[in-house]
Amino acid sequence: MKKTLTVNLGGTVFHIDEDAYQLLDKYLANLRIHFRKEEGSEEIMNDFEMRISELFNERVRLGHEVITIEHVEEVIKRMGKPEELFGGEDEKEYVREESKAHTFQEEETTGGRKKLMRDPDNRVLGGVASGIAAYMGWDITAIRLIMIVLLFIPYAPIVILYLILWLVMPLARTAADKLMMRGKSVTLENIGKTVTDGFEKVSSNVNDYMSSDKPRSFLQQLADLFVNVVGFILKFFAILIGIILLPPLLLVAFILVIVTFALIAGGTGVLYHLSPFGADLLAGTPIPLAIMGCIGFILLIGIPIFALVYAICMQLFKAKPLPNTAKWTLLILWIISVALSVIYFYQTGINGWSTLPWYNFFNI
Amino acid sequence: MNAENVKSQMRKGTLEYCILLLLKKEPAYTSDIIQKLQEAKLIVVEGTLYPLLTRLKNSELLSYQWIESTQGPPRKYYQLTPKGEEFLGELEISWQELNDTINHIRNN
Repeated sequence: MKKTLTVNLGGTVFHIDEDAYQLLDKYLANLRIHFRKEEGSEEIMNDFEMRISELFNERVRLGHEVITIEHVEEVIKRMGKPEELFGGEDEKEYVREESKAHTFQEEETTGGRKKLMRDPDNRVLGGVASGIAAYMGWDITAIRLIMIVLLFIPYAPIVILYLILWLVMPLARTAADKLMMRGKSVTLENIGKTVTDGFEKVSSNVNDYMSSDKPRSFLQQLADLFVNVVGFILKFFAILIGIILLPPLLLVAFILVIVTFALIAGGTGVLYHLSPFGADLLAGTPIPLAIMGCIGFILLIGIPIFALVYAICMQLFKAKPLPNTAKWTLLILWIISVALSVIYFYQTGINGWSTLPWYNFFNI
Repeated sequence: MNAENVKSQMRKGTLEYCILLLLKKEPAYTSDIIQKLQEAKLIVVEGTLYPLLTRLKNSELLSYQWIESTQGPPRKYYQLTPKGEEFLGELEISWQELNDTINHIRNN
């Protein structure tokens, strides 16, 4: 079962599948981008729509009540993709002549500037290797093989390095990002191309990015297979670690929440009964300072745990990343909590330290 | 250099001339023009034609009118303008010259 939409194309009403509609919409949007500099681009677009409407009409007359994605693909093949329409040299020249008034300014400002980003399309774990491959223009399998070899160095520093890179390298989300990742200039034409290319990948369900560029030798294919298998195993373990780590983290988070509520409801008095060392820790400190210290502690431990839990959930359940404002708020809150904790210990003096249970533990 | 590329350049160069030639005989619908050009293997994808026709119309070589159709909405019906006929005359001369040159080179 599929959802259908009703569209008005060139003055005729069609029922069209949702996926077919999206493909057609993207196609028309791309054409619009390609013709935007041409005189009478509106008219050209109308011609296109009229013709597509005609072709659909033929289908309808043949008894197809609904336009499917196959119909749209057929029509696109017949009409030609934007890059086919602008294939030849003279065509390019024509566009350039037409657009001399507004030359490619984007090309001048960002032309050829590469940026190291994570590639979400070709990723195994975080897209770090594919991002590096795109940045350096190297073979993705070669980089992955090197990484796998580096895993066997004692203590596997590559794991730490990988995690740091994962954190530091931004994800190439938009078409513009993906072009920058490969060092291609961000022009509307290029963006249009990426969008159609991307859609083809989705619509034909092909995920063979490895063999997309050029035919690969047997040895390379073997390496691809090896890397894919190792990648799968690594992914499996990463997910396993995430699943194992999640319950204890959630438990700690839960306890922290309980403590917070207890604090709000019962005041600092609760703390005296809550933990064996609570009384010692708070002994002799003024109440406002104690409250401040408690809030500081809770946030100090709570925020990183929350971040960790959220990060794991994001990977496991494909949750959306937090909005930037939330990230910054949490970071600022955490810095404040660090400051509060430092003030607390400074105010209570070294006695505060010595009352902690692990203080004695380390000084045996 | 690849042969396909050169061939497509050649076809492209004659495309305007061919469209004008087709319309010289009789005015036609866009889809008829497309069909004839595809039969002659001059264009591969239909999309190439629309911007070209609009360009020719904007240069006042062609004009069109909306003609009611029995099957569906009205369609564009293209015809040559006097300026277009003049333009076609020039192209015919230059095509003839080109033809002569090629033949000359070929036979020598």
